[in-house]
Amino acid sequence: MATEATLKQLVLGRKDVQDLSDTEQELPPDLMTVNMGPSHPAMHGTVRIVLTVDGERIVKSDVQPGYLHRCFEKESEHATYTQVFPYTDRLNYVSPMINNVGWAMAIEKLMQIKPTPRCEYVRVIVSEMSRLTDHLTCVGASAMELGAFTAFLYFLKCREWLYELLEKVSGARLTHSYLRIGGVAKDLPDDFDADLTKCLDQIVPVIAEVEVMLNNNKIFRDRMAGVGAMTKAEALATGCVGPIARACGVDYDVRRDHPYSIYPEVEFDVPLGTHGDCYDRYLVRVEEMKQSIRILRQCLKQIPPGPVMVDDPRVSLPPKRDTYNTIESMIRHFKHIMDGIRVPPGEVYVFVEGGNGELGFYVVADGTGRPYKAYCRSPSFVHLSTASQLIHGHLIADIVPIFGMINMIGGECDK
Amino acid sequence: MTQETVTLTIDGKSVTVPKGTNVLEAARTLGLDISAFCYHPGLSIVAQCRQCLVSIEKNPKLQPSCQQVVADGMVVHTTDAHSTLARAQQLEFTLLNHPIDCPICDKAGECTLQKLYFDHDNRDSRVDVPKVRKDKVVDVGPHIVLDQERCILCSRCIRTCDEVAGQHQLEFAFRSDHETLTTAPGEALDNPYSLNTVDVCPVGALTAKDFRFTMRAWELEATPSVCNGCATGCNVEIHHKHGRAWRLVPRHNPDVNKYWMCDEGRFTYHDLREHRIAAPLVEGLPSSWDRAIASAVLRIGSYLKEPQHVAVVLSALCSNEDNFALAKLAKEWKVGHVYFAGKPSVPQRADGKLRVADVNPNLTGIKAIADGLKLGAMPLPPLLPPTMKAAIVLGDVLAVDTHKLKEVELISFAAHERGPVPHAKVVFPIADWAELAGTITNLAGRVQRMHAAFAPPGQAIPGWEAIVRLAHATGVRLPWTHAREVFKDMIATVPAWKDLQWAREARPLQLRFAGSRG
Repeated sequence: MATEATLKQLVLGRKDVQDLSDTEQELPPDLMTVNMGPSHPAMHGTVRIVLTVDGERIVKSDVQPGYLHRCFEKESEHATYTQVFPYTDRLNYVSPMINNVGWAMAIEKLMQIKPTPRCEYVRVIVSEMSRLTDHLTCVGASAMELGAFTAFLYFLKCREWLYELLEKVSGARLTHSYLRIGGVAKDLPDDFDADLTKCLDQIVPVIAEVEVMLNNNKIFRDRMAGVGAMTKAEALATGCVGPIARACGVDYDVRRDHPYSIYPEVEFDVPLGTHGDCYDRYLVRVEEMKQSIRILRQCLKQIPPGPVMVDDPRVSLPPKRDTYNTIESMIRHFKHIMDGIRVPPGEVYVFVEGGNGELGFYVVADGTGRPYKAYCRSPSFVHLSTASQLIHGHLIADIVPIFGMINMIGGECDK
Repeated sequence: MTQETVTLTIDGKSVTVPKGTNVLEAARTLGLDISAFCYHPGLSIVAQCRQCLVSIEKNPKLQPSCQQVVADGMVVHTTDAHSTLARAQQLEFTLLNHPIDCPICDKAGECTLQKLYFDHDNRDSRVDVPKVRKDKVVDVGPHIVLDQERCILCSRCIRTCDEVAGQHQLEFAFRSDHETLTTAPGEALDNPYSLNTVDVCPVGALTAKDFRFTMRAWELEATPSVCNGCATGCNVEIHHKHGRAWRLVPRHNPDVNKYWMCDEGRFTYHDLREHRIAAPLVEGLPSSWDRAIASAVLRIGSYLKEPQHVAVVLSALCSNEDNFALAKLAKEWKVGHVYFAGKPSVPQRADGKLRVADVNPNLTGIKAIADGLKLGAMPLPPLLPPTMKAAIVLGDVLAVDTHKLKEVELISFAAHERGPVPHAKVVFPIADWAELAGTITNLAGRVQRMHAAFAPPGQAIPGWEAIVRLAHATGVRLPWTHAREVFKDMIATVPAWKDLQWAREARPLQLRFAGSRG
């Protein structure tokens, strides 16, 4: 066992504390520059923050995205319109279905195609399931980073139920690529109605339980309430959308204010916050999950039977039976796959309510099978631009909840 | 003299074209794509496929736009219901007996039938009757296989044989839906321009044995270049992938080869992979560039002090830039003898069309360069003068007995290990024609640009660059870092070339997105 003297030796090096001069005993008064990220366990996605700190307090920060080299927009110009779907999966990869829907809607608007009613319902169902997975991940991970590991495990368990269901629907757990221009890849599985109802019935009590764990938890509230607050005016000025803007009291939801698909046919409320701090963002997200569950239950009741793909030779692949037996279908199949869907020249901006807010696609078509230009208005990129301002004056430890609640997704930010 | 013009209206747009133009060409100048199979701008017009029918006002019947010559005040409609329906129905008839071959057809991806169906019809089949069966694999000639089922009877190939090769070798037999393409009685499709029929075939009926089942058309990339098979210098596209060429196809140039090239020229790409040298050789053993250069300087250095004992041989098979670099070096060294070498001419090859007797792609070019530098270059004699101690040889063809070269210090710049190269003391590997950016000069004195389709093998570099490295090691400064700079100095030397421009590098074009080539 080490004696007191050797312990001192270990802690203070060769000197005893009484041997130190007065100046050496004080902490250095000048500012220090430290790196947070680009690879850091508490940073969501690969982003680097160069912090100038006065002790623990942040006086200046330089947020630097771009370490992921996603090249979504440029890659899209080299792929056919259908081949872009897998790229959109990897934008916000915890809610890939919503990205799929945005891209499909953009191209359908260019081609003036109206999907079938059943297809619209299927799209809304998978979108809202994706919104649930997004918020479950965001809230769960943020709670975990503040020490509440139980909430994280509970939510990830819920997310896994949803992923399993989405895997049943699309064939892939995470990167679904389930949508097609003019519809979806295949209809919902036979027992989907019962499966989803059961899944939602299981999720509801888990959300309630986690709310009990977190809402009035002293540690959680101390770390979240009043941290990283933003006013309504600031949110509007910086272009914030989605849960972050709504937490500040900006009453805007694309699903309600610019209704698309069959959102006008379902009832849901748009939750609003008052303080615009991390705690409000958390509350808004939890309430949105409940609203998503409400939308899902309505959709399951209302979904009509029918085809899930439009019958339009410009976009739909012929049935396999015809492909192998008639030259017309064979050529069409070949051309769709090899040359891509022929989209008439034009430009379009289509936006949907993504997990993090307004997700927009601006596409310029030149009449060929590939986009001439694809641009993505990704909410994560906009939200990240406020990060520097939000963490200003806070402690280094506060970066973690602030960043968790901004919910920057690298794949979406570095487009 | 001003050309007489005619103004007409097509789909509400006014267009002025030279007198005698057909409606189809006039529409194409407006960017209107009228579907057509049998029409080819380089061939006579037969209006056989009826795929280009359009409505012309004051004319009760639809007219084939390829055959209809424009007239002043003519009003043409290409998108009206009448002609659109007629074209769609025509396409439906064409597809009636077409086999479901796309997955195994070499033309898939660059097929006019696929393109026209997708652009102009795109409807499901309405018939459910068995297709007429014909012969699938007919060996019609040494280079070509015919699939009679795929043929849509457009007669482009028949006209190509008649008009390009001047030999009537293909013909239709039988009638109606049993009509087939076949060789004319007693003939085989063996003319020296036969593979042009494969290019003009809008479907996969005629396929080249050379290219069949080797590469899918949409995976290839195309780089413009010039055929190195003979002195005509036909403009070609190199279709390549994974650093190797898979086929050559002619590129339209109205002044040189129009739309065509000969079969022999098409096969020259095989040579790009024959006996290639991938590393410098010293005494036949692979070496590094630095060691090879040092070794070459050691061998010829003493002779360069008495340059009358040194010979330099230019090559009629290499580019202008490579030859100019060596000629310039010869001038700086003040060598005693400058020769040029190439393949012997093949008189029976000349046919008054594209094929000529001179099978060297650049003989005109090196003569012009040698004259420009006032080198007094001569053809390589069968025997080198006995005073000769060292020779610097460009290229791998000398057309003389190369054994004598064993006795001199032979330094070789070559892409292939053959001819004089095995006798060389030091060999520098250089890029072959498909791998370099440069120019060659054809028989008519036209300087044409070649683009690099892919990288040369191993440590090979462009010839002029290798020559510059050797020059620097012998104390001669040649201030070039790019083929463009060699070109600039070269055109300043040759009076006839003073107005030439260096063309921008062409990027390979992905055929997948180039649309139909048909």
